[in-house]
Amino acid sequence: MRRVIDNDILTLMVRMAIGITFIYASYYKIIGPGDFAKSIWYYHLVPGALINLIAVFLPWMELLCGLCLIFGVGYRGSLWLVTIMTVVFVVAIASAIARGIDLDCGCFKAAKSSSASTWKPLLFDVGLLVLLAQLYLSRSRKWFLAGR
Amino acid sequence: MIFRQIVVIMAISVAFGIVSNIVSPNKIPFFGHYRSLSSGDGPIVPPTAEEGDPPFIAIDVAEMEFSNYDAVFVDARDPEEFECGTIPGSINIPFEYMPDEGLEAYIDSALGDLPREHQLIVFCSGEECDLSLHLGRNLMMLGYTNVAVFFGGSREWEKFGLEMERQVRCDE
Repeated sequence: MRRVIDNDILTLMVRMAIGITFIYASYYKIIGPGDFAKSIWYYHLVPGALINLIAVFLPWMELLCGLCLIFGVGYRGSLWLVTIMTVVFVVAIASAIARGIDLDCGCFKAAKSSSASTWKPLLFDVGLLVLLAQLYLSRSRKWFLAGR
Repeated sequence: MIFRQIVVIMAISVAFGIVSNIVSPNKIPFFGHYRSLSSGDGPIVPPTAEEGDPPFIAIDVAEMEFSNYDAVFVDARDPEEFECGTIPGSINIPFEYMPDEGLEAYIDSALGDLPREHQLIVFCSGEECDLSLHLGRNLMMLGYTNVAVFFGGSREWEKFGLEMERQVRCDE
C-alpha cells in the first residue's frame, strides 16, 4: 500500500488531475466574474458585500494553485489552499442540498436555479478530497520544480 | 514555510484579481449590492408554462440583476400601464401591439443594438398576466439567448418596496 501511495507516476497523475481541474474551473470565472458572482449569490451563504470581492479573487487563486500543484512550486501551500477550497465547496453544496436549493453548482459554469442533480458535484468534490489525501500521504519527490 | 507559500499565493491572486477586474471588459464593481428579498417561495411559474420556455426568476433574482448587472428589463404591458409605473429603466414592448409581419424588425428596433446574448428580463403586471411569457417565447424564437421571465411582475416589485418609475400619475 505504501509503495502504491508513494509511486512517482501516480503522484504526478493526481497532481495533474487536480491541477487541470482547478485551472479549468477558474477559466469561466476569470472571463465572467459577474456570472461567478451570481453563482455565489445563489448559495445565499456569503454576505452581500463580499460576493464580488470573492468572485474577483477566488478564480485567480484556483488558477495559481492548479499551476503550483502541476509544476511543484509552492507545493505544500497550494495543496493546503486547494484542500480548504474543496472543503468549502463541499460544505456549500451540501448546505444547498440541505436547504432545498436546486442549482447546478457553478463549479465549471455559472450556477443557475436548476432541477439538475446537485449531488453529482458534491460527489465530484468528495472524490477530489480522496485524491488530495493521496498527495498528503505520498512521499514522492520526483518532478517538483521547487522541491516539496 | 507552508504559511508563507499560502500568503504569497493569496497575495498574487488578489493582485491579479484586482488588475484583471480593472482591465476586463466584463468587470464588476468590487462591492456589489445584494439584498435578500426572498419570501422563500421561489419564482412564480404560471400553469401555462411549457417545456422549453424561458426560465422563471424570483423577485430576489430580479432585484439582484437590477442592482448589480446590466440586464435589460422589458415591460410587455400596454404603454398606458407602462407609464403608470414600471421597473426603472425598463423598455416597453407591448405584446398586444406586436405586428404579425416584421416582428423581428419591430423588436430589434425597440431593443436598439442589443446583442442577442444580452440578459433580458421580461415582465408584466403579475400573476394574472401572461404577456411576459408570450413575449419571452417570441424573443427566444427570434434568437435572443438569455431571456428570463419575472412572473411576479411590477406588482411584486412594488410590493417589496422597490423603486418604481412613473411617467404619469394614475388612479388604481
